[in-house]
Amino acid sequence: MDEEPERTKRWEGGYERTWEVLKEDESGSLKATVEEILFQSKRKRVTESHGQVRLGMMRHLHLVVDCSRSMEDQDLKPNRLTASLKLIETFVEEYFDQNPISQLGIITTKNKRAEKLTDLAGNPKKHIVALKKAVDTVCLGEPSLYNSLHLAIQTLKHMPGHTSREILVILSSLTTCDPANICELIKTLKSLKVRVSVIGLSAEVRVCTVLTRETGGSYHVILDESHFKELLMLHVKPPPASSSSECSLIRMGFPQHIIASLTDQEANAAISTSSGADLSLGGYFCPQCHAKYTELPVECKVCGLTLVSAPHLARSFHHLFPLQAFTESPTEQLQKDRFCQACQGELKDKSIFSCPSCCSVFCVECDLFIHDSLHCCPCCIHNQSNP
Amino acid sequence: MLELKRTLDAKGHGVLEMPSGTGKTISLLSLIVAYQKVFPLEVSKLIYCSRTVPEIEKVVEELRKLMEYYSKQTGESNNFLALALSSRKNLCIHPEVSSLRVGKEVDGKCHTLTASYIRAQRHSDPDLPVCRFYEDFDAVGRQMPLPAGVYNLDDLKDFGKRNGWCPYYLARYSLMHANIVVYSYHYLLDPKIADLVSKELTKKSVVVFDEAHNIDNVCIDSMSVNISRRTLDRCQTNVETLQNTIQKIKETDATKLKMEYRRLVEGLKEANVARETDVYLSNPVLPDEILQEAVPGTIRTAEHFVGFLKRFLEYLKSRLRVHHVVQESTPQFLKDIFDKVCIDRKPLRFCAERLRSLLRTLEIADIADFSAVTLISNFATLVSTYSQGIKTLLFSVSHFTLSPLDIYPRILDFRPVTMASFTMTLARTCLCPLIVGRGNDQVALSSKFETREDFAVIRNYGSLLQEMSAIVPDGIVAFFTSYMYMENIVAAWYEQGILENIQRNKLIFIETPDAAETSMALEKYQEACENGRGAILLSVARGKVSEGIDFVHHFGRAVIMFGVPYVYTQSRILKARLEYLRDQFQIRENDFLTFDAMRHAAQCVGRVIRGKTDYGLMIFADKRYARADKRGKLPRWIQEHISDGSLNLTVDEAVQLSKHFLRQMAQPFRQEDQLGLSLLTLEQLESEEMLKKISQIAHQT
Repeated sequence: MDEEPERTKRWEGGYERTWEVLKEDESGSLKATVEEILFQSKRKRVTESHGQVRLGMMRHLHLVVDCSRSMEDQDLKPNRLTASLKLIETFVEEYFDQNPISQLGIITTKNKRAEKLTDLAGNPKKHIVALKKAVDTVCLGEPSLYNSLHLAIQTLKHMPGHTSREILVILSSLTTCDPANICELIKTLKSLKVRVSVIGLSAEVRVCTVLTRETGGSYHVILDESHFKELLMLHVKPPPASSSSECSLIRMGFPQHIIASLTDQEANAAISTSSGADLSLGGYFCPQCHAKYTELPVECKVCGLTLVSAPHLARSFHHLFPLQAFTESPTEQLQKDRFCQACQGELKDKSIFSCPSCCSVFCVECDLFIHDSLHCCPCCIHNQSNP
Repeated sequence: MLELKRTLDAKGHGVLEMPSGTGKTISLLSLIVAYQKVFPLEVSKLIYCSRTVPEIEKVVEELRKLMEYYSKQTGESNNFLALALSSRKNLCIHPEVSSLRVGKEVDGKCHTLTASYIRAQRHSDPDLPVCRFYEDFDAVGRQMPLPAGVYNLDDLKDFGKRNGWCPYYLARYSLMHANIVVYSYHYLLDPKIADLVSKELTKKSVVVFDEAHNIDNVCIDSMSVNISRRTLDRCQTNVETLQNTIQKIKETDATKLKMEYRRLVEGLKEANVARETDVYLSNPVLPDEILQEAVPGTIRTAEHFVGFLKRFLEYLKSRLRVHHVVQESTPQFLKDIFDKVCIDRKPLRFCAERLRSLLRTLEIADIADFSAVTLISNFATLVSTYSQGIKTLLFSVSHFTLSPLDIYPRILDFRPVTMASFTMTLARTCLCPLIVGRGNDQVALSSKFETREDFAVIRNYGSLLQEMSAIVPDGIVAFFTSYMYMENIVAAWYEQGILENIQRNKLIFIETPDAAETSMALEKYQEACENGRGAILLSVARGKVSEGIDFVHHFGRAVIMFGVPYVYTQSRILKARLEYLRDQFQIRENDFLTFDAMRHAAQCVGRVIRGKTDYGLMIFADKRYARADKRGKLPRWIQEHISDGSLNLTVDEAVQLSKHFLRQMAQPFRQEDQLGLSLLTLEQLESEEMLKKISQIAHQT
């Protein structure tokens, strides 16, 4: 709602009943409804926290993007493909921001087959570049749910047992063209403990309902673009780990960034192992085998050690102790001066939000920011540091 | 429930209309069972009539749940006996007999094993085949009543197998002391069968007809006799065999025939004494007083009777040779037959009874072969017994049809004490009726006779289906008004390339008049819906699909009615019926036709909503649906969802609306959402407010 996507010509668009959403208030003005809608959309957020449950912190997620004929539909502006790719870009960034030690791969499906756009990897840049390129793909034929799931399994099944294996399908078409019975595949997925979630762009399809129910994923159908974004962002948070998944200690390396001088004897292995051809002086060296990497997190190609940096781990830490939801109350009840503790702005909206532990008051925007990005209440931290 | 209670109190008839999936069955059952418990003297028996075997099973399952709940709550086991009854085909456990598939064959085979004279013969000749299940039942089963409980068909079979008793006869015998009986319409309505099965049912019964909207058709079916030239030919051979057998028996055992003759002179009283197994060929409608009379002399001896049959046959044949349509009343027919072949009315009346007796005397056990001649003799009896109300129709296409119209109102001609139509309370609007009246090019859509061949209409229908196939997930069911119309349209679509476009989105299946082909198509259709390919089923209103098959959830996300399903108005049977209705009840032809058409349209679209969690689009593609007289005849639960905004839409508008609807419906829907709206928790139910509301409703009505 807040960002208007670029519009096509009115007459190219479908028939819409825009007037039905709006309702007049007693005085006949529309202002109240518009404000209500905006407020509602702001406030919609993930309130349900899992509490103290084990979360699958190391995620291996395959994103399946439908590129079939139906993606050319213009009910998302300018069309479904462009709109979803744009949203997926932000999703990828957000995903790696929140789950630094996880990996992601992208699969596209069209014309009855499935292709790998990017392999499972922990680097957001590569994915985003690939996604930008994919905007120009021609959408044709039908998608194949079977083929894409099959392709995803091929890599996912080799992943270690303590990681959570997930597939997220973005399906626009209402049909799938499969070479074999998909029910068998669903059983395989279930036995491999792969969680499949689906976001439908048009309507509820039975096979997806079955698929997600059996594998323990979620199934949602979008209402409009903002709802789509919201649904995608639901998948940023790591899912609760299934109780049967293995527990194991993982060896991790914490390499430091070293800029080697040209005279250094060790610098002869200067070519980065991961990203191919770029020559650089600086990099991260695996503490075990001294292979050099330009970026973290990565799995060492030589010795198989997981290399992360400490901030990465710290960033995924907050999932284990999520910030409590703030309590909402009407502004009138507030006795003190009406200023938000965070942004110091005046509280003008109908309701305010207060932290249950320190009772500080926040406005809607700050509340969202604190929960989505900071993951801790600034006032609580402030009180802790100088008692 | 309130209405139902009122009906029971008043001991009258009630008509209740409720949308499907709202718990008709369970609310009916629970109230009536409770009523039975409190007033065991007033209501001694509940007879629940349903249409198909799966439906019967469903009712029994519901009943079982109810009984379990009763015993759990009260802590005592109640001594209710409830059972389902079906034909021999579904109940037989005899290894050989039950392997047969066609109902008639099973009946015939069973008859050869259990008929009383066969069994009598066996006393002298123990090598004859025997159904040990029946024998065992006959020996001990009668003394031991079925233990209380709820029995469906499988339970009966199991019970039969365990004890070695024939489940069919066991069920039939237990009918008399059962508290609740669940069986098919025919057992009650078809006089031929009802006489056997339901005669002993007491007066103090509550009878429930489920899905009663086509009860009139069942009545007509059950009393119609359809005679074609093929039947007559078969009949001819039957008569010849009869004659041969008589000849043979005469040579070997003349005394037998003589005995029969004597018996006939004495009267037909023994017909009442006949053993229950023999009444397979029961006399259609012979009133009791006739049974007291003696069989007229002309057909008493076997040869004379066969001669009589032959003459009658010849007469029918000659009538069938006529190539124009003749419609005549019974007296006319009888007079004509008397003039031409000198057959009096009285012997005709005894025709069926006499044939039965003869077959028994001749000990022809396999009656299935003689169905043709039985049919003819039944026809003869019917014609001569009912002096009015029957129209004998002769077709140029060689069909005799007999519609006993007086049966229909006799059953429907009651003044209901209560008539109530209930709607659903829904937490979300899960149905979306749309009336599409125009194509995108503003051409009016209609299946009217004048525009049937119009290419613009056909094209627009095609584009409607094509657009819908692109946005509706899983299954779509499309109904046409007739097979002919469907064929024409599909052929036109093929030429215009529309079919190809549709097939890109979904597979297409077509219902045909052939039952086997249709069930095959249905099976594949369901498979395609199940695995995500998506499918469209093209079928015909009034066809098999529209009558008995439910499209739950994903099997039917949308129904499209192409046109208004009027009956074929030129049909003779219909004309006779309309005439009758006009003469007797002052119902105008048009009113009845519209009522009938809308009844079927509602029946078709109702196939998709089978419960509160289900949802579906209902698209009426004909501009005539928008008219008040048509709209007003739809059931109330559909009507209340038709807003002015959904009338006379173009294809485009309909697509937009349905897209929105489908997205709304796909949002997660949990049981908790229904709480307080369409579902009440115990606390809510007992709350002050709710009780007040209930009593208010009770006072209003």
